[in-house]
Amino acid sequence: MLRHLSDTAFVLQLERRGLPFHTGQFVVLRRPKTIVQRAYTVYSGEREQYLEVLVREISVGKVTPGLKKLNPGDVLEIDGPFGFFRFNPVFFPSQKFLFIASGTGISPYHSFIQTYPNMDYRLIHGVKYGKEAYEHHHYDPSRITLCTSADKTGRYHGRVTDYLKDYEISGETQCFLCGNNEMILQAYDLLVQKGVPVHNIHSEVHYQ
Amino acid sequence: MKYHLITLGCQMNLSDSERVISVLDQAGYTWTDDEAEAGLIGILACSVRQKAIDKVYSRIHKWNKWKNRKNLVTFISGCILPDDYERFLKLFDIIFQMKDLPELPDLINSYGINTPVRLRHGIDPHNTNIGEFWSVKPSYQSEFEAFIPIQNGCDKFCTFCAVPYTRGREVSRPSAEILAELALLVSNGYKSITLLGQNVNSYGRDKKGNEISFPELLRQVGELGNRSGKEFWVYYTSPHPHDMTDEVIEVMAQYPVLAKQVHLPMQSGDNKVLIRMNRTHDIEKYRQIVQSVRRIIPEATLFTDIITGFTGETEEQFENTRRAMEEFKFNMAYTAIYSPRPGAVSHRWEDTVPLEEKKRRLHILTDELRKHNIEYNRGLVGKTFRALVRGADRKEGYLSALTEGKLIIRFPSDADDLTGKFVDVKITSASDFSLEGELVQINVLA
Repeated sequence: MLRHLSDTAFVLQLERRGLPFHTGQFVVLRRPKTIVQRAYTVYSGEREQYLEVLVREISVGKVTPGLKKLNPGDVLEIDGPFGFFRFNPVFFPSQKFLFIASGTGISPYHSFIQTYPNMDYRLIHGVKYGKEAYEHHHYDPSRITLCTSADKTGRYHGRVTDYLKDYEISGETQCFLCGNNEMILQAYDLLVQKGVPVHNIHSEVHYQ
Repeated sequence: MKYHLITLGCQMNLSDSERVISVLDQAGYTWTDDEAEAGLIGILACSVRQKAIDKVYSRIHKWNKWKNRKNLVTFISGCILPDDYERFLKLFDIIFQMKDLPELPDLINSYGINTPVRLRHGIDPHNTNIGEFWSVKPSYQSEFEAFIPIQNGCDKFCTFCAVPYTRGREVSRPSAEILAELALLVSNGYKSITLLGQNVNSYGRDKKGNEISFPELLRQVGELGNRSGKEFWVYYTSPHPHDMTDEVIEVMAQYPVLAKQVHLPMQSGDNKVLIRMNRTHDIEKYRQIVQSVRRIIPEATLFTDIITGFTGETEEQFENTRRAMEEFKFNMAYTAIYSPRPGAVSHRWEDTVPLEEKKRRLHILTDELRKHNIEYNRGLVGKTFRALVRGADRKEGYLSALTEGKLIIRFPSDADDLTGKFVDVKITSASDFSLEGELVQINVLA
């Protein structure tokens, strides 16, 4: 099943068939009898009966245009889950979390929050346009900041890393970074400068 | 019919080639050293760098020209990226995944006829039925050194690497089989045995509690060694820092057969490069492992792998790698310049570091290694080491041997019958990458 979020972004819902995963992990998808495959973080929570991934169509891409044309009943090959972009829920309820995302890098956090709805988090999501605020109604509005770099529809006009410069954070916060290379590396530097120990910073590059 | 096999790449391919040779020999084919004599030519491919796979293309173009004047069947297996797989389907007569090796004779016999293996499209990432491959008895190419594959595949998805796409998912071989093969090798007098896997220290994790762990496997190897009463060394490669624990190192310390040599790929000394590589650990984690090695098995040598010029690597980030080399004082570093691999994630990123700059950085790291090694090796002069003789050295009148820590020692001797035996060698001089010594004692036990 497809759930369109914008002209280019959509959520693909698949039969889960008991596939176990830890929130934050990714799966690799490909059409049957094809060779090219892509990795997608699981967007849905651990307790859902289905598996969802958030996809942004790349018009010249080898995989995403085909995914966008899928119909109910079509088959995909799934490999996984893989990845270590996880956290230790043992720290609940005292642990504070800061989730920083660009674009579809919001995927793991959607899964985190669906799985652990009571976690104490703040989410900073950077996109170009407000229409890329993928399903922000799924999050507590007091906990999420949308940063829009190309229009002024977000709470903050500018990049995630610009917003982060003035953001106050305690060194005990567990920080997660997911998105493009450039954002992750700049955000990493900012967090370290703010006194967050390296072992409290977890990152996963979203492959564009 | 005569056959010739070319093996490119790593010890895993070398190990696999022993099984390929075994299957072909049993099927009645006869080995020839001369590919021009062969009616069947195979190649085990390596995709770790573009240069490696280019060798395959140049060879198959040559062999396909030979077909104009003689009957020739060609096959390919090993590590093949999906894009190359598609091209090789048209260039080679037979292409198969190593797990399907037992079917190779049928593929050759029915060449030109479609079989289920031929019709299977693409690469099976799940290594289904790889057990059949592991059960093929290898034709060991040495009488005293052997590889035992214990694990195949990779789930780490480092962004620079093709292996998850060429070797598929991590699959652990049954421990009972591994230990049985080891016991057989030991009883047949093998002296140096390497446990192989792309992620050797994640052994057992894919079995979700239905198989022993890597430290436990090492423990059982150690116990086998104690019971055997024989002298031999067991190594393992390649481990991933993500899965490395103090328990592994502690087990190594407990058993004499577990060789005191750790090969731990670092790839980069910079946290941001490690993030881009998706290595899943930071340099502090790597440092903690090295500190554990130095503390628990201080006599161990430390080897590593490093990539220079990874996409986006700045001068400052490279300097962090150089500093890490200075800090960790590796005995050997297999350093390679970054080569974008089709199918690997980083192939989609711009290869920003010019080739000449990559080479410059490679030379700097080599010099750093050389600097440490000369100092380390000079500190060994006057000491006596147990070493396994491997054969004649390039220097005439000398034999070449490896210490337990895989340091190269040469010593004057014409006694070829020492090959494959343990000897004691007193170090008399040292250079950056090798030692020279004199024989102290010959091991009278075969």
